[in-house]
Amino acid sequence: MRNEARSPIDGVVGLLATSVAGLVLAGPVAAQQAAGADKDPIHGLNGSWERYPNRFSGLGSEAVEGPPPPEPIPEPPLKPEYLKDWKAEQARIKKLTDQGLPPANNYSACLPDGMPAMMQAMFPMEVLETPGQVTVIEEAFNQVRRIYLNEQLMAPKDAEPRFWGHSAGHWEGDTLVVETVGVKDDVRFRNVPHSMDMRIAERLRLSGKDFMTDEVTVTDPEYLTKPWKWTWMYRRWPGYKIQEYVCEDNRYYPDPDKGNQRLRLDDESNESTTEN
Amino acid sequence: MFRLSAVGRAVVAVSFALALPWAAGTAFAHHSFASYEPDLQIKFTGKVTHFQWTNPHVYIGMDGPDAKGEMRHWTIECANPGILNRVGWTWNMIHEGDTITVIVSPLRSGEAGALLKAIRLADGKTYSNGGPAGAAKIPFD
Repeated sequence: MRNEARSPIDGVVGLLATSVAGLVLAGPVAAQQAAGADKDPIHGLNGSWERYPNRFSGLGSEAVEGPPPPEPIPEPPLKPEYLKDWKAEQARIKKLTDQGLPPANNYSACLPDGMPAMMQAMFPMEVLETPGQVTVIEEAFNQVRRIYLNEQLMAPKDAEPRFWGHSAGHWEGDTLVVETVGVKDDVRFRNVPHSMDMRIAERLRLSGKDFMTDEVTVTDPEYLTKPWKWTWMYRRWPGYKIQEYVCEDNRYYPDPDKGNQRLRLDDESNESTTEN
Repeated sequence: MFRLSAVGRAVVAVSFALALPWAAGTAFAHHSFASYEPDLQIKFTGKVTHFQWTNPHVYIGMDGPDAKGEMRHWTIECANPGILNRVGWTWNMIHEGDTITVIVSPLRSGEAGALLKAIRLADGKTYSNGGPAGAAKIPFD
């Protein structure tokens, strides 16, 4: 069963109907609008999805039937001078984590993933295809990403730095081809540094009716020796309604001395104390 | 902090289980749970003093004994409302004053914080804390 209870399709049908009505009334301008809307038919991405095969949704890791899963994400092809620091940092994080002192990170500060990490779909994700736009909503941290169709992507130097950058896309047959620039340089995936010239190219398409792939290619002339490529996959979750997520009371804070993640505990001096 | 009575101490159930560290080598779904004991789970029963249904995590405040039998006021970390809703919890299933039983992994630091593994409510219903928090390795009974 497909999750089509929500109304993006209805919205498109309504818009087309409106455009056709407008065509009669308004002539060439409305005709252009109708033709534009026609370029963005629904490609089957609408609905809720969860990562495949990792069920980060919280339901456990039991095997589910499906296509072969993607290969693990490879090590970033950083230039040697950056790779050395990155490996040292990864080793530091692992050592501290093994000691029970995981370093504080963006989540400890209630900061969202941004791009491209948002597309790892920590929690379920919703895709909305509407005329001229594909919108991706990630449940974790209420993340929203807007991909504008058939628009010229701005030059990186003109792009206001943002968590999710700026995305433009177009359809090539059944594949949504997206390019993203303008991701803030302190928004990092797997702690990999990047410049403001980073570009994230994606190819999103259905794999059968109920699976979706996102082939990601990151390029960055300043930091990478070659494109960093991986594929994420998602499984359709019919009927799942994305929940709200406001990072309302974050009890994590960085230890002032060691920088590791600490948890604010209730006051133990009075056993019946309740906070908040 | 105060010592348990002999009777209280008798009901302390401490079990050591060979718990697998959650998804070693892979990304954590969210905050790292590495600050909690990887191999120690304890079980205790007590009254809820505080139930907080918020992101990024849900918290339960309750009094109960630690692994040494000393009574503590625990801050028990649960998954987030989204995960808990997906594994069957509801926002209003726990109230201040409820008597509940929990299976938890305490903080390695010795502070009175713990990561929930499983919970049994007064009506006998049991719930997990979702996949990322790891499963209970000791039984309720």
